[in-house]
Amino acid sequence: MDSIVTCEGVTKTFGEGELAVHALKNVNINILPGDFATLAGPSGSGKTTLLNMVGALDLPSSGQVTVAGQKLADMKPAELSDLRLHKIGFVFQSYNLVPVMSASENIEFVLELQGVPAKDRRKLSLEALRDVGLEGLEHRRPAAMSGGQQQRVAVARALVSRPSIVLADEPTANLDSTSAGELIDLMLKLNDEHGTTFLIGTHDPRVLERSRRQINMLDGEVESDTRH
Amino acid sequence: MTGAFGTLTPLAWRNLWRNPRRTVITLIVVSIGLWSILFFNSFMIGWMQSSKDAALKLLTGDGQIHAVGYMDDPNVDAFMPAPTPALLAALNSDVFADWTQRIQAPGVVQSEYKTLPINIMGVDPAAERRISTIPGMVTDGRYLESSEDDGVILGKHLVERLKTGLGRRVILMSQSADGTLAERSFDVVGIFDADQGVEDFYAFTGLSASQGFLGLTDEIAQIVVTLPQEAELDPSIKTLRDAAPELDVRSWKELNLFLATTDTFMGAFIFIWLGIVFSLMAIGIVNTQLMAVFERTQEFGLLRALGMKPRRVLLMVSIESAMLIGTGVLLGALIAALTIWSLSGGIDLTAYAQALEMMQGGSIIYLDYHLDGFVLFSLLIWILGVLVALWPARRASKCSPVEAMRRDT
Repeated sequence: MDSIVTCEGVTKTFGEGELAVHALKNVNINILPGDFATLAGPSGSGKTTLLNMVGALDLPSSGQVTVAGQKLADMKPAELSDLRLHKIGFVFQSYNLVPVMSASENIEFVLELQGVPAKDRRKLSLEALRDVGLEGLEHRRPAAMSGGQQQRVAVARALVSRPSIVLADEPTANLDSTSAGELIDLMLKLNDEHGTTFLIGTHDPRVLERSRRQINMLDGEVESDTRH
Repeated sequence: MTGAFGTLTPLAWRNLWRNPRRTVITLIVVSIGLWSILFFNSFMIGWMQSSKDAALKLLTGDGQIHAVGYMDDPNVDAFMPAPTPALLAALNSDVFADWTQRIQAPGVVQSEYKTLPINIMGVDPAAERRISTIPGMVTDGRYLESSEDDGVILGKHLVERLKTGLGRRVILMSQSADGTLAERSFDVVGIFDADQGVEDFYAFTGLSASQGFLGLTDEIAQIVVTLPQEAELDPSIKTLRDAAPELDVRSWKELNLFLATTDTFMGAFIFIWLGIVFSLMAIGIVNTQLMAVFERTQEFGLLRALGMKPRRVLLMVSIESAMLIGTGVLLGALIAALTIWSLSGGIDLTAYAQALEMMQGGSIIYLDYHLDGFVLFSLLIWILGVLVALWPARRASKCSPVEAMRRDT
């Protein structure tokens, strides 16, 4: 089976000389279609840096990252934007939604960037909200929603264009246990029903205990890679 | 691109009201800035028109004809003959609203107490009533009744200096056509109240009376013309030059250099004012937009992470700036229009009459505006504002998603 994400000898160094910080050291991983994988490890272990590399938000100092068959190092900034737009869904820890847009508008905005016609955008966004259990909240702005609801909208936005992979960075960090549990349930359900691939950076045990593949990181290196 | 505008425009409007206080402050800065430009432009045009009317309708007219050499040494030897048929045809054509001919000779006026230098003006009273404001300025006695009227009209200040008065006699002296000294006593039949410069240096009597006094037959010193409203000055003056090539034809701009220079300066001044106001506005616009961009760094990072291209971020922020400045421009233009409309009865500056006298201005300024000026200055402010706001917009578009998202994590 072809990998959706391949990292080969990925190294990322911030700064130079004595001030250099090696955030990633020779990381090699493959994410397969349908994976529900977590990147686990303490703060500073390189989870977010690796997610940035895989998400085409940043480029490695050395090594090769391939996403959906495309080598990121060979791509121009505009092509990287297109890759993020069409192939990758993002769920961040915080500041996930544009505050002046309603739930459905936040989702439609991505579709509009993709060039989806207006009449289809509305339909798709409502479907996505229904999939994440937020039917009827399409007109609510982020400020009028709970943290869990906001994360669900972010998941809906990440999934609406059927990306190759959804990258989530500490998605449950700001949620209470009920909301966190519901979000994990939702992501697992989407993984089961739609085969959506997830790569989640987290050190939240609530997520890790339900992970189907756990990649442990420490000091910028992959310590272990276990399938459950 | 149309789709992008459709999505980004309502988004931009909402973004503007995320910080209402900042938006309102920017709107106030832009609208007051534009208001000041439009109002002062209107005031300058009105003031210039008032100054021109006051100065030109007094004696100068829109143009004058003299014999060559008269302007260098204005004496009786440099007078010109009565207009030729060709010149008369031009003067009576539709090119000119009106015209008259005058005697103007240097001389002195003498009372029992004092002798003072004076310009002796021989005028056709009927024509002067149409062309000049002097007849309307007679406050005591009467204006001249005919060309043969040998009474004299003196300025109020001159009368005070001569210690003479209405009904008394003064002696006018000047060089006559034969080179001898002409001297005759005249009854003071009227006193006019004008600018002090005019009051002190002009004494008016009938045209025929003055020609007789100076030993002339039909010679004159000058022909004064006025133009219909909106008529072009230069082509009209050329008509006269073509009709009387042997004479010295000058427009008011050549006759009154101070007024002409002021006219030119006023045109330039509004652009200087625009530059000053816009510089201040630009600082305000850039400052507030930079703050808005800085506050939304994470949002731009999110949008970039989701796949929004830098040029689209630039477009989004530029639309916000365009809407913000455009709203300010509309408000400014509206307030300026209301101000000008509310002052359509004129601004009475009688309290500053002496200062205005120095500036050759009228005491009531009627604000004058031209729609093209309103549109031009409004568009200029809007376009320049959007251009300076490109800097913060560019900063937003250069926002790195990683750096932006890192701020909160």
